[in-house]
Amino acid sequence: MKLSDLKVGQTAKVQSINITDRKIKRHLLDMGVVVGTKVKITKVPPMKDPVCIELRDYELAVRKSDMDKIECEVIDV
Amino acid sequence: MKIGLIGNQNSGKTTVFNALTGLNNKVGNWPGVTLEKKSGKIKGTNHELVDLPGIYSLSPYTIEETVSCDFIFDDKPDVLINVVDSTELERSLYLTTQLLELDIPVILALNMTDLLEKNGLKLNVDKLSKLLNVNIIQISGVTQNGIDKLISLIDTVSIKSSVKIYSDDIEKCLSSLEQNVKHSRFINVKKIESDSRFVASDSEKDIIHSLCKYNDLEETIATQRYNFIEKVKSSCVIQNKVSTISQKLDSIFLNKILSFPIFIGLMFLIYYLSVGVVGSATVDMVGSCIDGLGEFVSNCFISWNVSEIITSLVVDGIIAGVGAVLGFVPQLIILFLCISLLETSGYMSRISLLLDKLFRKLGLSGKSLISFIVGSGCSVPGIMSTRTIENEDERKMTTILTPFIPCSAKLPIIALFAGYFFPNNSGVVSASLYFFAIAVIIISALIMKKFIFKNISDTYIVELPEYKIPNVKYVARDVFDKVIAFIKRAGTIILLCSIVIWFLLSFSFNFTYGVDIEDSILATIGNALSWIFYPMLGSKSWGATVSAIQGLVAKEQVVSSMAVINGLAADVEEGAAIFSTSGIFGFFSPVSAYAFMVFNLFSAPCFGAIGAMQRELGGGKQLLKAIGFQTIIAWLLGTLVFQIGTLCQTLNISVGSVIISILLIVIIIAVILNMQKKKNKCSGCPYCNSCKS
Repeated sequence: MKLSDLKVGQTAKVQSINITDRKIKRHLLDMGVVVGTKVKITKVPPMKDPVCIELRDYELAVRKSDMDKIECEVIDV
Repeated sequence: MKIGLIGNQNSGKTTVFNALTGLNNKVGNWPGVTLEKKSGKIKGTNHELVDLPGIYSLSPYTIEETVSCDFIFDDKPDVLINVVDSTELERSLYLTTQLLELDIPVILALNMTDLLEKNGLKLNVDKLSKLLNVNIIQISGVTQNGIDKLISLIDTVSIKSSVKIYSDDIEKCLSSLEQNVKHSRFINVKKIESDSRFVASDSEKDIIHSLCKYNDLEETIATQRYNFIEKVKSSCVIQNKVSTISQKLDSIFLNKILSFPIFIGLMFLIYYLSVGVVGSATVDMVGSCIDGLGEFVSNCFISWNVSEIITSLVVDGIIAGVGAVLGFVPQLIILFLCISLLETSGYMSRISLLLDKLFRKLGLSGKSLISFIVGSGCSVPGIMSTRTIENEDERKMTTILTPFIPCSAKLPIIALFAGYFFPNNSGVVSASLYFFAIAVIIISALIMKKFIFKNISDTYIVELPEYKIPNVKYVARDVFDKVIAFIKRAGTIILLCSIVIWFLLSFSFNFTYGVDIEDSILATIGNALSWIFYPMLGSKSWGATVSAIQGLVAKEQVVSSMAVINGLAADVEEGAAIFSTSGIFGFFSPVSAYAFMVFNLFSAPCFGAIGAMQRELGGGKQLLKAIGFQTIIAWLLGTLVFQIGTLCQTLNISVGSVIISILLIVIIIAVILNMQKKKNKCSGCPYCNSCKS
């Protein structure tokens, strides 16, 4: 499923990152979003976009349009 | 020796820099406080320490990040101090593993160790040092723990061999590529990633293709790097992070219902407090102090038989001009304090997140908001902070729009007019100008998006820092520095301008002293241009004209100039208030006052800000267009305010009812537009599947 389909509080493992823009993909990789990363949706602000995700002990705000391009699999914690 | 201070954004590099050098550079709690490299000498040594903008990796993403990467390769530092936020170890070590591939000695400074226990973390530092093969020092930039140890380590640290972190095939490939250059391991990794800055030769490309059989090598390298770090971390971190107070605070500040009222309330409060509460409490006291000083000096000079010209220069020129500006220091202290608290607490990043979606519709992003908030202190750092925006069009738009935010130098203008013409509502009126500015930004952004900047970014990937209790010492220091800078400007530029203005007011074109002010050089110049302001003032005032033009030097100069002009013109009564009906500015009414404020707020910024705009926009033509755009908008708005206001007065409609009806119309239009949109398509929320088709 897409990362953007996750609900608040759910955790998922990244399976693939299908972003074609090299620069943006590189930035996401550098920020720690790689295949296998555990990502948790921590909060959705009132406007519902961008969404806060927790990974590697910190929080990152990412727009839904980018999260649409990240495939993941929900896991139990 | 030259030493580079390098680390993730918001890892506390500048705090460490200040601790090491004893200097006081600005710190904050949002990614991108440091935008340019700054250097200083380490206490008790001859080592030059360079503070660099934060980076997450050695592949720069934004302009300011490029500065840090270029430093490593062009400035050839002897030692790198890698500042690592120990509460965010995993992501921070990503950059560390890249630095350890360079042929430069690295010291890993584990920062914020005082926060470790609070976060429920325990670290085995010795093991971490062994696994990464790097010297580690635990420090706290805030409490200065470990700083001396760090300084003494600089002399003894040496290059250590890099640990193998990749899979066997990639490691084999790395050792098959060119080895006889500096930073060979780092460069070879970059060649495998096919980085544009480090191009592999054809034979090397063949080696890479034959040895590394992966789809996306850039992704593979990053993934393997993180896998290595995960392994290291799991054997060094003894306890795991517990959820912190930040989550609880965010449930309030990012709350569905509360977040926007809190944000608007806080913004309102800043201006209400500084201009309304503090302003009304201090303005009379400060005013009478300055009048008293003027009287005292003039009496002294008379008793000492000082010539009339000198007395006039000192009293009517210098004391009136500089004093008029200095009188607003109390309001500025409150404004600077509020902005500093916003910056250091971490709330600013939440505002950025909160409004990103709205701003995207304007062709901007949440990042622009950070520039706007910093710009409410001073446009220059506000404009500079646009460097953290990676999309070029968005960056340029933010640069042009940031001066629209009322900066601290515009506060004296607001406080002067609002305090006199709206004595009971000065706080509300000044806050209204802030919201007026937001409206202007929205409209201008829409115009620019439609006609000039069409390439809009679709990405917002920003770290959300944890809330921090602002450090009293740094906030006090920040406020103090800004107030001192303002006072210095009053003692230099404003002083100089006051003298020039006094001269131009006291002499006629044939250099006779003591002419009637209406025959002075300045009045002649002003009269020639006063038609420009007629539509928004309802009067051809040379005084208001020349004062507004002087806003180019510094916005507070408008106030200073009006004080000098009024002082020299007011032969009627000594020390008459600027707007006394018999004075030269007596024609001002509440409506024209508001219009004049609007013009001064939105017209071309001061030379300092124009310089900053030029650096960011890069070209003369675009800069001229931007300044022209700003001034035309300001003139149109000023005129509009005056004409509508006057019309309301003649028709006997209260201004309040006009504002409310305009707001109502806007809300109704917005609701209708929104309803139509909803009818047509799903609003796009990701968290329900019911409307997905």
